[in-house]
Amino acid sequence: MASAWCWSCLSRLRPTTRAVLPPPSAIPRLTSAPFHSSAVQYAPPLKKKSNSMTQMKYRQGQTLRRKKKKTVERARPPAPGERKALRKRIILSNPNALEVEGMQEISAENIVDARLRGSVLGLPVPMLDQLRAVQAFKPKQGWSIFRRPGAVVRRDTVEMGRLFEKISGEGDAAEKGKVVKKVITGTKGTGKTVHLLQAMSMAFLKKWVVVTIPEARELVSGDTAYVPVEGSNPIQYNQPGATSALLMRTVEANREVLSGLKVSQNHPEINGVKPTSTLEDLAKLGFQDPAVAWPVFKALWTELTATAAAPGMEKDFQPRPPMLVAVDGLAHWMHNSAYRDTDYNLVHPHDLVFVKHFLSLLRNGQAELKNGGMLLYATSTSNNPGVYALEVALDQMTARQAGIKPTSPEYPSAEAYSNADPRVLDLFKPIEGKEPQMELQTLGGLTRDETRGYLEYFARSGLLREPVNENWVGEKWSMSGGGIIGELEKLGRHVRSAAIPTPAAN
Amino acid sequence: MVFILGVNFPERNLLKKSLESFFGIGNHTSSRLLARFNIHPTCRVGELANKQVLDMTAVLSDMKIENDLRREVVNDIKRLKETGTYRGRRHALGLPVRGQRTRTQIKTPVKLNRMERRM
Repeated sequence: MASAWCWSCLSRLRPTTRAVLPPPSAIPRLTSAPFHSSAVQYAPPLKKKSNSMTQMKYRQGQTLRRKKKKTVERARPPAPGERKALRKRIILSNPNALEVEGMQEISAENIVDARLRGSVLGLPVPMLDQLRAVQAFKPKQGWSIFRRPGAVVRRDTVEMGRLFEKISGEGDAAEKGKVVKKVITGTKGTGKTVHLLQAMSMAFLKKWVVVTIPEARELVSGDTAYVPVEGSNPIQYNQPGATSALLMRTVEANREVLSGLKVSQNHPEINGVKPTSTLEDLAKLGFQDPAVAWPVFKALWTELTATAAAPGMEKDFQPRPPMLVAVDGLAHWMHNSAYRDTDYNLVHPHDLVFVKHFLSLLRNGQAELKNGGMLLYATSTSNNPGVYALEVALDQMTARQAGIKPTSPEYPSAEAYSNADPRVLDLFKPIEGKEPQMELQTLGGLTRDETRGYLEYFARSGLLREPVNENWVGEKWSMSGGGIIGELEKLGRHVRSAAIPTPAAN
Repeated sequence: MVFILGVNFPERNLLKKSLESFFGIGNHTSSRLLARFNIHPTCRVGELANKQVLDMTAVLSDMKIENDLRREVVNDIKRLKETGTYRGRRHALGLPVRGQRTRTQIKTPVKLNRMERRM
């Protein structure tokens, strides 16, 4: 049977896509017009013969010609301060994390409860603003993985809670007005800064006044203004900007306490203080004018450490609350600052009035806090200058606590020709028979029970999808170097991504 | 904007970098100047008190910087040329002065060393 398609047409037919060609059918179509037009229309164009030699124009250069890159319009760079704000941002809540049911809040009653060891206590929401004001939270800490901020109760925490109760004059062994001085050390990730945070939260609960220096480094890194104090010999330096910031922090965090206390001493050196003004009003004088910030701070300090009113001002006098002074990154105050004197010599931090004030509180035998309180000076391991003299001083303190006498040959001392800073060694020098003495508190790892409680908190927050049992906790405890809490947190976070539901074995 | 030695600096600029924009002031001199007036190293121009600006300007105007310094350098080179020293001749010929090789890499002297030297 002869086909309806003409032969020549078939030979020109090229395989094209199905959509273009009509579907092949058993009965050939008699209409030929669409076939003729479409096949030619959709045929691919003939390729040009590409021969670079023949295409080259007469006397054309053979060098490589590149097209100039067009300048791409980029988005505007971020405004000044925006990137820093992003870097310093502190996120305290993660709405994706599960809410832990039955989670207790830290309160004035349960800080001494030893039964709560190993459980994570939440920080009360009204206190968060206060803690933010004193910069207790640091940007690199893992607050943002949980639903709400909280901290684990460990042995050191309960001990500290007992001290708070004792100094506040509550409980059985009340010692109202006692001053406790502690230097807190420990290896990396042992929770020194969070220990300070817990101390601050306890102080807020007990209505203490909290004064903090969240970054000791900022006072010596040469980033704030410094002014020589007139008439001082050797020359000392004031830091008006940093003092003003300290006053702001202190007022913001302790507004409730400070606004309830009236001025009780005479301050002739400060203008604008009335006998009826509160301590909050007094501190606010230093906000606007940094030049008077240091006299205002000194005045505030004398008010807070006063035990009795000046003659003629007894009317509104109320007993002052105990104080908590917390400093983070102590080692930075033990080596030369980035400031220079007029002869271009480096300024020692102990010549900065601000730093000197807070270090003199720490000195053995000094009871500057008349109404009692606690001094917590923590070292840092994430940002730590190596200071030999401080290492020796801390070793000496450890030895004294172990009962080694300074006269004994085993007592550590600076090596000869090591050039240890005598001012640092002098600061930590023991003074016999005078209270209060400085103590060294070394934070270590959590116990296994505390580790279990801590990791259970991860599991209950939905971060950890593994059964938390004795074996598993033991493994993690060992892997974290014996319960180093920073390592445990890493493990708890790490397991989240690794814990993909395994398919059932078949 | 703050005037220091007749130059207007934006307030957000670092004072140290602003001082170093003067011909004849580098890292060494600027850090010493800051220390002399007890100004911290990361100070911005806008943070200066009026008195500090005046003091700074007073000290800078006593120093040999900018055109005075340029003139001195040009005069020194001119003296070398006039006394006919080897160094003077090299300056005039547009060749390296301090014994470098001339086979390659003499773009800078070719650019800078000429009869009417400019700084």
